[in-house]
Amino acid sequence: MFIHLFKLNPITQKRLRRFKKIKRGYYSLIILTLLTVISLFCNFIANKRAIIVKYDGRYYFPTFKFYDMATFSQTDEWGFDDTEADYRSMKKQFKGTNNFVLMPLVPFDPYENDFDYYREPPPNPPDRRHWFGTDSQGRDVFARLLYGFRVSIMFALIFVFISQIAGTIIGSLQGYLAGKFDIYTQRVIEIWSTLPFLYIVIIMATFFKSGFLMLLFIMTLFWWMGITYYMRTEMYREKTRQYVLAARSYGASHFRIVFKHLLPNCLTPLITFAPFAVVGAIGALTGLDYLGYGLPAPTPSWGELIDQALQIQNRDKIWLTIAPFGAISITLILVTLVGESIREAFDPKQYARYK
Amino acid sequence: MKDALDPENGKFILRVNSLVKHYPLRGGILSRKIGYVKAVQDVSLDIREGETLGLVGESGCGKSTLARTMILLEKPTSGNILFEGKDIASLSSKELFQVRRKIQMIFQDPYSSLNPRMTIGEIIRDPLIVHKTGSRKEQEEKVASLLIRVGLSPDMMDRYPHEFSGGQRQRIGIARALALDPQILIADEPVSSLDVSVQSQALNLLTELQKDMELTYLFISHDLSVVEYISDRIAVMYLGRIVEMGDTKEIFENPAHPYTRALMEAVPVPDPKRGGRKIILKGEPPSAIHPPSGCAFHPRCPFVIPECRKQLPLLEPFSPRNTSSHLVACIRK
Repeated sequence: MFIHLFKLNPITQKRLRRFKKIKRGYYSLIILTLLTVISLFCNFIANKRAIIVKYDGRYYFPTFKFYDMATFSQTDEWGFDDTEADYRSMKKQFKGTNNFVLMPLVPFDPYENDFDYYREPPPNPPDRRHWFGTDSQGRDVFARLLYGFRVSIMFALIFVFISQIAGTIIGSLQGYLAGKFDIYTQRVIEIWSTLPFLYIVIIMATFFKSGFLMLLFIMTLFWWMGITYYMRTEMYREKTRQYVLAARSYGASHFRIVFKHLLPNCLTPLITFAPFAVVGAIGALTGLDYLGYGLPAPTPSWGELIDQALQIQNRDKIWLTIAPFGAISITLILVTLVGESIREAFDPKQYARYK
Repeated sequence: MKDALDPENGKFILRVNSLVKHYPLRGGILSRKIGYVKAVQDVSLDIREGETLGLVGESGCGKSTLARTMILLEKPTSGNILFEGKDIASLSSKELFQVRRKIQMIFQDPYSSLNPRMTIGEIIRDPLIVHKTGSRKEQEEKVASLLIRVGLSPDMMDRYPHEFSGGQRQRIGIARALALDPQILIADEPVSSLDVSVQSQALNLLTELQKDMELTYLFISHDLSVVEYISDRIAVMYLGRIVEMGDTKEIFENPAHPYTRALMEAVPVPDPKRGGRKIILKGEPPSAIHPPSGCAFHPRCPFVIPECRKQLPLLEPFSPRNTSSHLVACIRK
């Protein structure tokens, strides 16, 4: 029964057309969508495992599957062959034979320590082997940025989706039911939202073993209040319209009135605030990771990269600073441009402007 | 007062007994009740099957509140509402749900009474979905036939309300009210926001529908000429009370209450030779929070006597000869 929320009525279509006309937002949205879709496939872009291997007439797709060295008649320096195959050396190995290997664009995964190639201890500056250099544990910075983007954007999207839904339901009921429910819930929200978000999440994160889902839960618990204010006032305004009376007069249930009749008329704040909520969520997650209370240790994350960059012994390793800050700035600018353009496209004042 | 209503004159379908609706007025930091807005005070009336009862009065006199309370969109403070012999104010929500389909309402504002995010088809179909009447296909056929019935075309079903004019929107509102085949239609100022030319079309549609579908109307308006045209009987309301009630012809020929006379003389008549008015209403309508003592009309009444300030007039037969049909609440009748 919620399909009607996504149906395009003429006003929405008009807004979409206007959004398309605001080039900076439209192109930002396209770039962001592309990046997000690409990041879903980053196992094929930055990985130590090959995408396709043809060996002895058979094809192998090792991206998500373990093959040992014996499969490709390799041995390591001590003569064992039951460890993972070394795909990076295959190009040399297969030279002059029928076999071939297709490696990802960046042939390193974000967890791998690349110590042996360099004489200097990590972090090593950018070169042809590691485009953005390596971090203090010899891991490829580009791969970590890419995987970090996936984690950040997915976390932010899921987080914003859940918290906006929770806030919408509670705010809508407050506005619609009004009276005692509204008064008491509003007081609870006011108290709840004075709790300092980051401190509370840090405290909670030390008590519970922090993982992706746990962090999502904790952060949602302290973030859903923002949208309730807007949904509440939207409902207060909208429920006085006579179509609500009409629906009540033929006996429509409160649930139906709120979610079928009223909610589609109250979506504007939800849509206009969502991109800015994403900005906030990415910022908050990066901040938590930087402080070390975010996602657990080996997870590639931007906050953790920034933490490395700001450590005293790494102050002269400028690539460690530029890469994560650049990535965060670009992402946040893109999201903000999208949000700001949506806000402009939805601005009702424009309808009244004479041309 | 109950006795003043005549049970023999036609079968009544809806009867309201001493209906009272007070809204609490809150103030101060603790939002205590500091008074009441007495919107509807002790109203009794009956609606007979197949008739049109016109309810007139100036804005703010409680017409709309009365209508909304009668179909329990507002909870009455006291009094009862008898529909088919049952008091619907004391029904369980399940029973009330079944009654709702028999009493439907047409709303005043054709702009805010249709949901801008729903198509015309969805708007008219919604009552059918809520009451689970028929299959999807049957419902859509019903919507199409309703659209034809109110003079619109079925292929307008997928359009949105903003694509229609005020008159067309009001027709859509009427179609929605008819979707559940009601017995009573309560029309709350259905034509007052329409152009005069469109008004007559809408009124003709309403009378036509009444004939075809054997509907009973409660027609609320502040426009006496509209009410005169459509009503069989008229009730005049002033500050939450009914001050005069009777057959349309009788009321227009022999208006007994000074307020009714003032209303009638305020109706513009396209005749320049017509003489001056006899009663001109002075002052503002009094406050419903602190209604005047005695007869609520006394501060504006040209025939006021000291008694009027003390005694609340009851709704009684106008003359001994004419016991039933013409009631008036004035001690100087």
